[in-house]
Amino acid sequence: MKISEEELRKITLTAINELGDKASPELVRNIVSSAVDKLGAETELPKTESAVVVDRAILTSFGLNRPGVIARITALLAEAGCDLRDVSQKIMDDFYTLIMIVDLSSSKYQLKELSEKLEKIASEMNVKIFLQHENLFRQMHRI
Amino acid sequence: MNYEFDEILDTIKMTEIEHFDIRTVTLGISLRDCYDRNLEVSKQKVYDKIIKYGKNHVKFAKEVEDRYGISIANKRISITPISIPFDSFNRYEFIEMAKTLDKAAEDVGVDYLAGFSALVQKGFTKGERELIEAIPFALAETKRICSSINVGSTKAGINMDAVLKVANLIKKTAELTKDHDSIGCAKFVVFCNVPEDNPFVAGAFHGVTEPEVVLNVGISGPGVVLDAIKSVGGADLQTLSEVIKKTIFKITRAGELIGREVAEKHGIPFGIVDISLAPTPAEGDSIGDILKAMGVEDVGAHGTTAALAMLNDAVKKAGLMASSSVGGLSGAFIPVSEDQGMIDAVKRGNLSIEKLEAMTSVCSVGLDMIAVPGETPATTLAGIIADEAAIGLINDKTTAVRVIPAYGKKVGDVVDYGGLLGLAPVMAVREISSANFVNRGGKIPAPTRSLTN
Repeated sequence: MKISEEELRKITLTAINELGDKASPELVRNIVSSAVDKLGAETELPKTESAVVVDRAILTSFGLNRPGVIARITALLAEAGCDLRDVSQKIMDDFYTLIMIVDLSSSKYQLKELSEKLEKIASEMNVKIFLQHENLFRQMHRI
Repeated sequence: MNYEFDEILDTIKMTEIEHFDIRTVTLGISLRDCYDRNLEVSKQKVYDKIIKYGKNHVKFAKEVEDRYGISIANKRISITPISIPFDSFNRYEFIEMAKTLDKAAEDVGVDYLAGFSALVQKGFTKGERELIEAIPFALAETKRICSSINVGSTKAGINMDAVLKVANLIKKTAELTKDHDSIGCAKFVVFCNVPEDNPFVAGAFHGVTEPEVVLNVGISGPGVVLDAIKSVGGADLQTLSEVIKKTIFKITRAGELIGREVAEKHGIPFGIVDISLAPTPAEGDSIGDILKAMGVEDVGAHGTTAALAMLNDAVKKAGLMASSSVGGLSGAFIPVSEDQGMIDAVKRGNLSIEKLEAMTSVCSVGLDMIAVPGETPATTLAGIIADEAAIGLINDKTTAVRVIPAYGKKVGDVVDYGGLLGLAPVMAVREISSANFVNRGGKIPAPTRSLTN
């Protein structure tokens, strides 16, 4: 908890008044600092929930279906330490679409690095892979 | 799965294909505590304060860019209108201060710092008169400083003495920066009813009612709106309005998310989202192209004003729904030099300054980035400014003029700044005189609309 300068002054003045003649600079300092500590402990406000609740990203991939695309993607995610929260996949004739929800909270790569690595796989396998933070989807499509 | 495939594709289309970006995150810093009777101490205080709050601005913005894969085109800083903390300065001291601000902006790594400004709608203080004398030199001798003067408001009327002074200021600036196509004028805006939380340079400043430091964000996205309009083909206007609203809603939500995250990294309050559609000279990023996609053959055709009015209204409705912190200018910008569709319309002779003036009565912000012949008299510039201010005054809205009397250039020439400022064909102005009107001086009284209590 933050104590404003004015509150601190009030506490100090109260301490000095209470102590009367006994007030010495050192004694006042001790009393005030212990009072501040105690105040802080008692009135710790619950942390407000920030806009960012979880660190999840949506991975989307599509292109011409061929063996090993998902294997390459998931191997990278496993190596990064990402957790897969949901997977949905469809095959339409020769094409596939893939959507994954990836938990990045224990990932050893930042979203940008992961994105760059995926980009490399995409160009090697000649498919499209996009990785975007879930917050963006939540903001844009949910009221 | 929490999200539909269509929703996901929609977002990917906006960010990856239509290059949706955030136009600006602007850090507003109060300089009201920076005055000292010693000029050197004042300069140091200003420099230190901008560095203190601004040193991580670019870094934080880049981190948020990386996190969301949405680029933030500009990272900028706005300050308290400089005449307010430093009203006791003379013109030479103001020029010195401009150089200090320029240095601070350079060291922080932002391309523009705005707020070398004054609000004189009801009259001048001594310092404000000195500042107006200093502005042309400050703009000529610095790279990153932007300036603005507010000459009118619905509550106060129009200060016509200020209008004429500002017209002379613009002429002087054009002359001092003649070696660079009078670029100084591109960094100066004259306003009526200026908003105090506008994140868009050159007219940004950190208003006196704002907190110590604040983060405002300006969205962009003409390209996304253009594609949305094209996607519905020949649908009727209500359908068109719906499509525009849906698109703007998403853009605004993304803008607010980005703004809040940058503010959170700074540990400062988030201010507002400015939902203005801001074009750039890049292909497809054009308000002119949107108007054409709506159905007019070229910008300037009869019907253009109506199309723009509808576009602007749809943008506002969607923005207000999407965010509880809408502020700034929040409308469609129609600059000439920064919008390829508008540039082409002027070059083809389809868009005149008079039609632009009519268009500004239904959208923010005003006659923006318009080059006129270098020989245009100051009194004619004053007439242009007064007309524009009158539109703002009567309609209770912001209007602005950013005009470049390009030194030594004639109608048909172009001024080319490159980058975001773009290219402006020199437009014809009326050759008949406004001199006797603007030389009367005094004030245009506040209109009946000022009496709302």
